[in-house]
Amino acid sequence: MPAILVSNLSKTFRTKHKAAGLGASLHSLISPQYSNVEAVRGLTFEMESGELLGFIGPNGAGKSTTIKILTGILFPNDGEVHVLGYIPWKQRRQLAYHIGTVFGQRPQLWYHLPAIDTFILFGKIYELDDRAVKQRISYLSEAFEIVDLLETPVRKLSLGQRMRCEVAASLLHKPKLLLLDEPSIGLDVVAKQHIRDAIREMALRENVGVLLTSHDAGDLEALCKRVIVINHGQIVYQDKVSVLKRSFLNSKLVEVRYAQPISPNFHVAGTETLKVSKDLYAIKLRFDPLQTPVENVMAHLSAAGTLLDITVSDPPLEEVIAKIYETTI
Amino acid sequence: MKKYLAIFKINLLNSLAYPAEIATRSGMILVFMFVFFQLWYVTYTASGLQVLNGLTLRDTMWYLLLAETLELGRPRLARVISQQVKDGSIAYLLDKPYDFMLYQLGIGLGESLPRMGILFIIGGILVWALAGAPPDLQNWPLAFLAFSGAWLLHFCVNGLIGLAAFVAEEVAPFEWIYQKLVFILGGLLIPLDFYPAWLQTLSKFLPFAYMMYGPARLFVRQDIQLFIQIIIGQLFWLALLGGLLALTFARGMRRLAINGG
Repeated sequence: MPAILVSNLSKTFRTKHKAAGLGASLHSLISPQYSNVEAVRGLTFEMESGELLGFIGPNGAGKSTTIKILTGILFPNDGEVHVLGYIPWKQRRQLAYHIGTVFGQRPQLWYHLPAIDTFILFGKIYELDDRAVKQRISYLSEAFEIVDLLETPVRKLSLGQRMRCEVAASLLHKPKLLLLDEPSIGLDVVAKQHIRDAIREMALRENVGVLLTSHDAGDLEALCKRVIVINHGQIVYQDKVSVLKRSFLNSKLVEVRYAQPISPNFHVAGTETLKVSKDLYAIKLRFDPLQTPVENVMAHLSAAGTLLDITVSDPPLEEVIAKIYETTI
Repeated sequence: MKKYLAIFKINLLNSLAYPAEIATRSGMILVFMFVFFQLWYVTYTASGLQVLNGLTLRDTMWYLLLAETLELGRPRLARVISQQVKDGSIAYLLDKPYDFMLYQLGIGLGESLPRMGILFIIGGILVWALAGAPPDLQNWPLAFLAFSGAWLLHFCVNGLIGLAAFVAEEVAPFEWIYQKLVFILGGLLIPLDFYPAWLQTLSKFLPFAYMMYGPARLFVRQDIQLFIQIIIGQLFWLALLGGLLALTFARGMRRLAINGG
């Protein structure tokens, strides 16, 4: 049975409108005007247990609304949802024992207290045995490298340290499914990498399914195998992360560093030169491997001088997402 | 129940993270008790009587201290919940396996207990110095029970006002009206014993006297008959308001709309 089964899910919010000015305010008191905002429209998808699934889209796409429906916080207007066999809005508390949640913008750790206090509280909330909690804290603190941070008041931790504690806390009760809403928001590059590594390792080690929403393509590349792109409450794309990159931008990026300067007019036929360094020691190209064979490009590049370093990569996911938006909006 | 006890304990720890801040904020009770003493001292002196409506000046001051301790020390739950409903942060409290209102009860008690303790101690020192020794220790247990019932009634009414944010955009007016009703019909400013008979009778049919007058009056005079009356009244109103609170929360959840995402 899939960990998450969503079928024709819809959620509409009713919002009040009022024009500017006192007259409009008075009119609004007598005859308020409402309009409906369709946050989620006929969403259908599945997620297997233990799967690492990315759920991405621009602001207002319906990502967080979907996550809140999946956790049972919001009631949908229509559709069917099963999370680990539970209907979230009807069995919210039963479901909560089996899922972990991290909302990047809403800390769940007690701000003025050391993180260990929140861990112990969660142990009680999830009705875990005291000895099991102790062992689990010790295990998670090793895995997330937070041993020395547990007794420091949360307010004194850096954002990266705090997020590692947040994710570790959400795994205390060994959930089968982890719902991460923007877990890396605001983190620097090193902290992001740190938390991605820890989440991936824990997910694989404990076979925890991860549903991740993020604006950061790096999160998806580092953590997810499959991605769902959502816009205006509807799925606009779903496939493997690698397929997404290949099918939306059939191009490769090549960065080359030479031992000596190259000619200022150097150009490889069938490629687009993106950047040449001022000292002419480095060049960055983009090409479509279906149009221009890789070996041709490599041959041209090595003929231009002695190669010191060469990197071939897929385009950043931000570009891929932008391309999808361009074609679907 | 263990989880709610743990929630209470963690908020107690949280509240105690800054004891100086609680003590400073609690200093307000010194001003109130000093003003009350001046007013009631003049009243008693002008009347030329030691006992007015069954209460001495000392009784009245300790009555007012207990009432003020409850009023100033109870959690401002209406404000907290309405804010959580309006800004959507309520959502982030609902992803754990607990009952939301019992969670709020644990939080409220953890916040309220140290504050009420400090209010009572510093206010009590002043009242002792101005009006005389505290009431007989034998009054304390019954007063404590009635005080707990009153605290729970405040919790229920506050919770209902907070949850009104599911339908009303602003709940501050409801909170203002409720507070003034407690001031007057609850006997916060003047013990109900000083009221005309008809107003005293009316107050028995409303919840406010059980939320303030009951415990404060039992604190200064042991009266088993009054205790039974107060406890029955509190149980009735707790069943009614508690049931309404659970129902309102369940219905409110269906209306929950969270911006963003």
